[in-house]
Amino acid sequence: MTRTPRWLLIAALAALAMIAAAASLLYGPVNLSIARLVAAASGHGDAIATTILFDLRLPRTLLALIVGAALGLSGAALQGYLRNPLAEPSVLGTSNAAALGGVAALYFGFAQLHPAALPLLAIGGALLSLALLFALAGRSESPLTLILAGIAVGTLAVAGTSLALNLSPNPFAAMEIMTWLLGSLENRSFQHVWIALPCVAIGMAMLFWNGRALDALTLGEDAAQALGVDIRRMRLRLLVGTAIAVGGAVAVSGAIGFIGLIVPHLIRPLTDRSPSAILLPSAIGGAALLTLADIGVRIIPTTNELKLGVVTAFLGVPVFLVHLMREKRLW
Amino acid sequence: MKRAYIAGAALLLGGAGALWAAVPRGSNAPAAKAPAVPQRIVSINLCADQLVLALADRSQIAGLTHNAADPELSGAAAKARGLPLLSNSAEQILAIDPDLVVGMPASRSAALAALPGQHYPLLDLDTADRLDQIYASIRQTATTVGHPARGEALITHMKSELAGLPKPGRGRVAAYYQRRGYMTGTGTLIDELMSRVGLVNLAGKLGKPPLSQLSLEEMVAAEPDFLIVESATDTVTDQGSEMLHHPALKGIPRISIPQAWTVCGSPEYVIAARSIVAQIAAIDGGRR
Repeated sequence: MTRTPRWLLIAALAALAMIAAAASLLYGPVNLSIARLVAAASGHGDAIATTILFDLRLPRTLLALIVGAALGLSGAALQGYLRNPLAEPSVLGTSNAAALGGVAALYFGFAQLHPAALPLLAIGGALLSLALLFALAGRSESPLTLILAGIAVGTLAVAGTSLALNLSPNPFAAMEIMTWLLGSLENRSFQHVWIALPCVAIGMAMLFWNGRALDALTLGEDAAQALGVDIRRMRLRLLVGTAIAVGGAVAVSGAIGFIGLIVPHLIRPLTDRSPSAILLPSAIGGAALLTLADIGVRIIPTTNELKLGVVTAFLGVPVFLVHLMREKRLW
Repeated sequence: MKRAYIAGAALLLGGAGALWAAVPRGSNAPAAKAPAVPQRIVSINLCADQLVLALADRSQIAGLTHNAADPELSGAAAKARGLPLLSNSAEQILAIDPDLVVGMPASRSAALAALPGQHYPLLDLDTADRLDQIYASIRQTATTVGHPARGEALITHMKSELAGLPKPGRGRVAAYYQRRGYMTGTGTLIDELMSRVGLVNLAGKLGKPPLSQLSLEEMVAAEPDFLIVESATDTVTDQGSEMLHHPALKGIPRISIPQAWTVCGSPEYVIAARSIVAQIAAIDGGRR
């Protein structure tokens, strides 16, 4: 099998992400003609089209790209480090733990004290869950141990989210729990972009930094150390980087599953399969996939808008199952 | 088998279960008739709470719903303080042995269904979607609790308050926009309030049902002259209320009224109408 040249893969994925973003700007519950949107974009449009384009569709599209990139890259980095094809923020419970942090910030009023409280608590939740997970099953031999530990951490976080919402004085808790656990980009504004963007940028930078160390790690820990990789520092960067990127993303979107699982798997056969080679393509691919999924929830005609996690689960579970079948004989 | 069931129920419900099992009665016996002036009134509905509080003596009231003292939900919350609040449990009703149960309707209450052997006098009120239905409920409640004159006085007072109310809406369009984009439509008390102050309900204009969901995009495109929101959503406390503070809506003037005034057909209807009139006048005054 000849592999696709790296620049071609990246260019193709970037083009896909841009087409998805353009479609996301063009499509919405109100039918606006392309001419009207172009006029609005160039600053000569009517008030309605301008507000819809700049206050509603643009932040939503940007967030889909940002959140998708964070989830795709986190999945690729975690799979590389743990050498486990099922590692991913939502499977490992990181997204749900971040959602728990976000819920605590909103419902107990911390977010009203300072706007930074929401992403900080979400990052804290993600960090705590990853630390717990690595302590429980960090480098165990069986991939199953890690997944089981992830299920335990994730279930605990979901239970905590429901409990927090039920304890809060909010009479609409059930609806809110659903949004946090299934994820949605409905009705987001630029305020959310400013929350997510810095976190995701910092987190992603820390993850990209690990690329070469991840490659060295495929030779085994001893060999990697012989090559000059500081394993402890690298682990810390990976942990904190994932927590910041996922925490910032979940703080504005809720826990969206499976993006970090699907994308690296689709990308890997097109690369030389080294961990570092899938990092950037996974980030761009994640941005494209989440944007497409977010167009999906708007197109599928339902009385209540579909939650994003529903669409990504339908896409992600088959990938998960394929791996389950492949791994079965090992169990 | 049956004995085991009764024993189990007694075990579960403790004293109440034992009492229930000890009072065998035909399940189809008619509800008892209330005394002329009932002395142990229990309300099992938030809206009934407000009518009972307005029309009965405090000493007649033996129990209200647990939301009755919540200022967010009940327009008569201050009056409810100090009175026994029930948690819609059959046990508590059984212990009170009420001589009147008021509900909306009382006969379909789950708590009473759990007491098939008890036949308390019931007052079934209808949900009020129009002002005349509020008057009817007031009359019905006042008569049943033994103070018909109080009901007539309250209605007269409400009528005189509403008679002089101007219609500053002048045919402009308003949308009653709730958390998560739910919009209140025609055939509701809100819709009637809007037309009383001269506003046109956007939901009616768009042909929407009594409760529909309208996305922010559609709201921006519909360009209503006013948004009427519940004052509980004035601060962002969760994602549902955050939506109403989206920058895309910042250009639309807002009228904010507590849902405690509108969630029930109650005497607070008048306060709600006057508040909307005052807020429209304030918005128009600010523009000049």
